[in-house]
Amino acid sequence: MDIAAGLLHGFAVALTPGNLMWCFIGCFLGTVVGVLPGLGPAATIAMLLPLTFQMDPTSAIIMLSGIYYGAKYGGSTTSILLNVPGESASVVTCLDGYQMARKGRAGAALGIAAIASFVAGTVGVIALMLISPPLAKFALSFSSPEYFALMSLGLAMVVLLAGKSLIKALLAMLVGLWIASMGTDLFTAQSRFTFGQSELLDGVDFVVVAIGIFALGEVLGNMEMREGSEVLPVPKGLRNLLPTLEELKACRFAFLNGSVIGFLIGILPGAGSTVASFISYGVEKAVSKHPEKFGTGVPEGVAAPEGANNSETGGALVPMLTLGIPGSSTTAILLAALILWGLKPGPLMIQDNPSLFWGLVASMYVGNVMLLILNIPLIPLFAQILKLPVALLYPVIFGISIVGVYSVSGSLFDVWMLSAFGLLGYAMRKLEYPSAPLILGLVLGDSMERALRQSLMMSSGDLGILVSRPISAVMLALAVLILLLPVFKKANTWRVKALEENG
Amino acid sequence: MFRKRLPILIGGAALALMATAASAQFKPSKPIEVIVHTGPGGGGDVLARFIASAIEKEKLAPVRLTVNNKPGGGGLTAMNYVVEKKGDTHAIAVFTGVWLTNPLTQSEAKVTVRDMTPAVRLVLEPAVVVVKNDSPYKTLQDFIDAAKKAPGQLKQSGGSITSRDNVVRQLIMKQTGANWAYISFPGGGERIAALLGGHVNMMVIEPQEAGEHLRAGNMRILAQVADKRLPSLPNVPTLKEAGVDVPVVPQVRGIVAPPGLPADALAYYEDLFARLAKTGTWKKYLEENQFEDGFQKSAELAKFFDEFANRMREILKDAGAKVVR
Repeated sequence: MDIAAGLLHGFAVALTPGNLMWCFIGCFLGTVVGVLPGLGPAATIAMLLPLTFQMDPTSAIIMLSGIYYGAKYGGSTTSILLNVPGESASVVTCLDGYQMARKGRAGAALGIAAIASFVAGTVGVIALMLISPPLAKFALSFSSPEYFALMSLGLAMVVLLAGKSLIKALLAMLVGLWIASMGTDLFTAQSRFTFGQSELLDGVDFVVVAIGIFALGEVLGNMEMREGSEVLPVPKGLRNLLPTLEELKACRFAFLNGSVIGFLIGILPGAGSTVASFISYGVEKAVSKHPEKFGTGVPEGVAAPEGANNSETGGALVPMLTLGIPGSSTTAILLAALILWGLKPGPLMIQDNPSLFWGLVASMYVGNVMLLILNIPLIPLFAQILKLPVALLYPVIFGISIVGVYSVSGSLFDVWMLSAFGLLGYAMRKLEYPSAPLILGLVLGDSMERALRQSLMMSSGDLGILVSRPISAVMLALAVLILLLPVFKKANTWRVKALEENG
Repeated sequence: MFRKRLPILIGGAALALMATAASAQFKPSKPIEVIVHTGPGGGGDVLARFIASAIEKEKLAPVRLTVNNKPGGGGLTAMNYVVEKKGDTHAIAVFTGVWLTNPLTQSEAKVTVRDMTPAVRLVLEPAVVVVKNDSPYKTLQDFIDAAKKAPGQLKQSGGSITSRDNVVRQLIMKQTGANWAYISFPGGGERIAALLGGHVNMMVIEPQEAGEHLRAGNMRILAQVADKRLPSLPNVPTLKEAGVDVPVVPQVRGIVAPPGLPADALAYYEDLFARLAKTGTWKKYLEENQFEDGFQKSAELAKFFDEFANRMREILKDAGAKVVR
């Protein structure tokens, strides 16, 4: 079926009243799940799975996918307003989103997040529709050496996330890498850094660390200030709650960057949306005219990662629908769902079930519009939460954080860990250690180590495998370039200084 | 011939009578908790939720079954929880191979599956040995010969070294003297991608997963890891038929209960799952997932646990893992 006919057929499927309703239910549930920290789309889909046995598979996948991409929209809300990352992919949104909120631009940040999500979500669907098969082939050419290079590229971003002191950023990153190495080693089945605690055998949950360091650390830091009891500014009037034209203009490139990077990383089965959002943030900062302002509340710093984590959804569906290979925990459950409904996910699924594929694609266009319409009116409402007096707001953040962490695992051990990381976050704030590099190390550490060991097993111990493969060589070269950025900058300041002195 | 079979028949009838009599004593009075060691969507969880909905649909029990996820600790969190529920007649748990294998290598484990009450074994998952469609190896013997010629150069993708994929490799290597590398990937998707991308040469995979790649002509099956040929793969030799006589290590799933489960409650659960295993819903589930019916009752399952643990210890030692119990 050619694309135009397929898409028309798809809209005929997606626009039936029944499927429109399922699409809306999915998007709505997704938004709710996204807003609540902790509970993620994967768990929600799994819990709703038994309810879908009686449904038509096309309607069911339309609804479940709605939850998947809807959650990406909702995830930014608590990141921006409370510095509590709603999903792992919205950690990066905290960096500039929360700072915007502190400057009274909470509404604008939420608006930009919604628009970036819409643009990138739509770009993701278009790419899914037009270029899936060749991209799936590209994804297969990626293996451990390429993943190692990609993760190195990501880790090199640390120099971009560093604040005043590069040394402190590197130290924070090393702590992140160390935490990432906790748990059972895949290759030897031995446990590392578990201190005899069986709870640590699966490693430390990323959400626990992120919420502890960002949300609790921030609250503890603010509580110290007596004058800090002032309420965050929330401007009155709808106009002040929406992004201005200049802010949107500043985000032009970020929308594009987030869409492309998110999609490309999404199609790789071993990467994921958190990696995508970090890399897209880093790229945005690297090419920015005012990189020094990142982290103080620039709209591009919200648009790039939010875009990336939304177009990642379209990307992650590529290997799932064209090859039957799940690229993330959520797509793995969707794949299990397809099997339970009696479909056969695999290389021939699109051919065998064209109306399911095209119905899903068309529903994603519809769903993205629905989500935009659903989210924009909620912005003024959500922004009101900042009007709460501090004496109420801080306990609310504590409550949300603890419930969020507990809802993931149902284990009190994780709540204790959350407190520990909250204290760590507070200490880091006091000692002026940046928290983003720690999170970066934690996100990348595990997969980076794994990719390196896999590569060396493939080459029987020859490190040459990392540079003899073209894709991996190019990415490693880029990583080195990024690492050298601060050196160039320093050289440049010396040069300018020398020129001034001579002149 | 009849004489031989008669006592078994009588014994069977007596057992069945006993089971009905016993199940008349215990009747669940509140929802039954089904403990799983994965979060929603994991392998054990999907099975547990399917069981809960099938029992409800077929009206096999007077109460509902509710799934309780106890993820973490590589299964140990859930296992500890089951042991803490000692004597609770309204809790059961879905066990998978992880429950049997992980405590062998993890000193953090304080309990093993033998501390619990074995209830029933339900599912055996067969596996197949596959290569990419353009691979030069047409038979398992081709692959083994090539591996002998270049020891350590060929590669297999799979899960952790305690997974069944590696167990099959270890057994074949020991039997034939061949040697090839094993590369662990955490996700099933990454393992398949490594094979299809030509980064590894071979993998052990579930037939259901392989099915569509076969139909699309992306993969070729060299052998099936099963005692007899699967109905869906009548033309593929088993390992033994392919010339490698190694024991078939099953991937297994079933039900255990907390320690000290009273005999009447155990009989009730044995009977409940025996009835479930006979339903069309269950048979369709097995067929769709290409699972084998592995139904065993408590006494046989206990024996199976011990045999499995003994064999795994050997295999893990050969694989270079540290076995702690």
